[in-house]
Amino acid sequence: METVEIDIRGQLCPATLLVALKEINARASLLRRGAVKLCFLIDNRDATGTIPESASNMGYAVNVAKQQEGWYRIEVAARL
Amino acid sequence: MTLSMHPYVFLGSVSLLLGLAAGFVMHRSDFCIAGMFRDIFLFRRFTMIRSFVLLVVATMALFEAARLFGLLSVYPFPLLYAPTAANVIGGFLFGIGMVLAGGCVVGTLYKMGSGSALSMTAFIGLIIGSGLYAEVHPAWAAFIKQTTFFPGKVTIAQILGVNPFITVLAVVSPAAALLFSWYRRDAFTRPSFASGYLQPFRAALALALIGAASSVLVGMPLGVTSSFTKAAGWAESALMKAHYAGLTVYSAVPLNFIHRLTGPAALTGGPGPAFDALAAIQVPLIIGIVAGSAFSAALLGELRFSYRVPGRQYALAAGGGILMGLASRLAPTCNVWHLLGGLPLLAASSMLFLIGILGGAWLGGLLLLRLLGTGSGGIDGGLCSTRKDAA
Repeated sequence: METVEIDIRGQLCPATLLVALKEINARASLLRRGAVKLCFLIDNRDATGTIPESASNMGYAVNVAKQQEGWYRIEVAARL
Repeated sequence: MTLSMHPYVFLGSVSLLLGLAAGFVMHRSDFCIAGMFRDIFLFRRFTMIRSFVLLVVATMALFEAARLFGLLSVYPFPLLYAPTAANVIGGFLFGIGMVLAGGCVVGTLYKMGSGSALSMTAFIGLIIGSGLYAEVHPAWAAFIKQTTFFPGKVTIAQILGVNPFITVLAVVSPAAALLFSWYRRDAFTRPSFASGYLQPFRAALALALIGAASSVLVGMPLGVTSSFTKAAGWAESALMKAHYAGLTVYSAVPLNFIHRLTGPAALTGGPGPAFDALAAIQVPLIIGIVAGSAFSAALLGELRFSYRVPGRQYALAAGGGILMGLASRLAPTCNVWHLLGGLPLLAASSMLFLIGILGGAWLGGLLLLRLLGTGSGGIDGGLCSTRKDAA
């Protein structure tokens, strides 16, 4: 499975969420087939709630992990 | 009761402490008032605005309690005036500005504290915009005079000629029932994976206490924007002396009240760059909010300077900041003063400002979608189906 990393740290609110939704929608069929996994790098605390909520409501599996350097990594992939 | 220390030392220390607490709380809960208003229209999300309603209603109850116990030096607070058309127009432009800048005047401060280069850009824009107001001040002051309704009356209670307790009770009782029904169906809770996350409704209660503490100890609710005008005036007086001398706004001294805690001498201040009571109160508050947020971020290991973002976002932050700074003088005063100071007193000007800011947040959201260049992010396809699922 290919992992696509998208760095949206420091972006204007709500660009973080908008970019994430755009990327998810643009790769919807690849994501659903399990051919690709998206990995968003964010440092917007609000988006640690909104991106997982939106993605999981769209039917994807979401995993959030805080990184030592103080930002968050949100993985969005097909549900197993 | 009066204090023996210099009034400015007391006011400054209290404001610094209140600012530190507010900045900490806002960072933990990402209490973005601009986002709350924007998301009503942009994403049809209402969770955050509910916490804002809680903040206003709790503040309303606390201010009224403070008034009844005789703890307020001046009622209504200083720097609140009779309603004018300027409140709606200023609020509308302010709403657009705060959405484009990604944060209101205090949102900009707490985001700046946690290291956002965009918010630092918006901060500079705020000062420039506040300075631009000086150019239109004489004409705008005349417009305010012409469009003032109910001269000399600030609150709805004053307009109706009734005791403020009646109007406050008429709003707080149904609002409390509404807030309780939201609480019962868990409509305040926000999912979040952020470490050390503070639920926004808890932040709202903390901020209501902070605002009430300010109204009693400082004599006024929280305010920051006069200091932005002061900074602009200071820069103009240093760089453009002749031009500065012709600007009448900087010689105004609108603040003049006797505060029960700081003794018989009146506290005075205005937008000019002098170090007066406004500066003594607001500058420590501003420093406190930025530092409180930075402290919160540092404790979580999240204090990092982030600046690598698309150039157009810098342009948006600067443009939004300038518009917001200008509008905060047109309105006159910003969202914090109106929404967390005037609205809880049911000041008619602040209610007009609220109407304006709602319209501005709607239009600002539409503009933002076009200007960000990220597309709508499939808001219709994504989030609206989200809502169906959630329902």
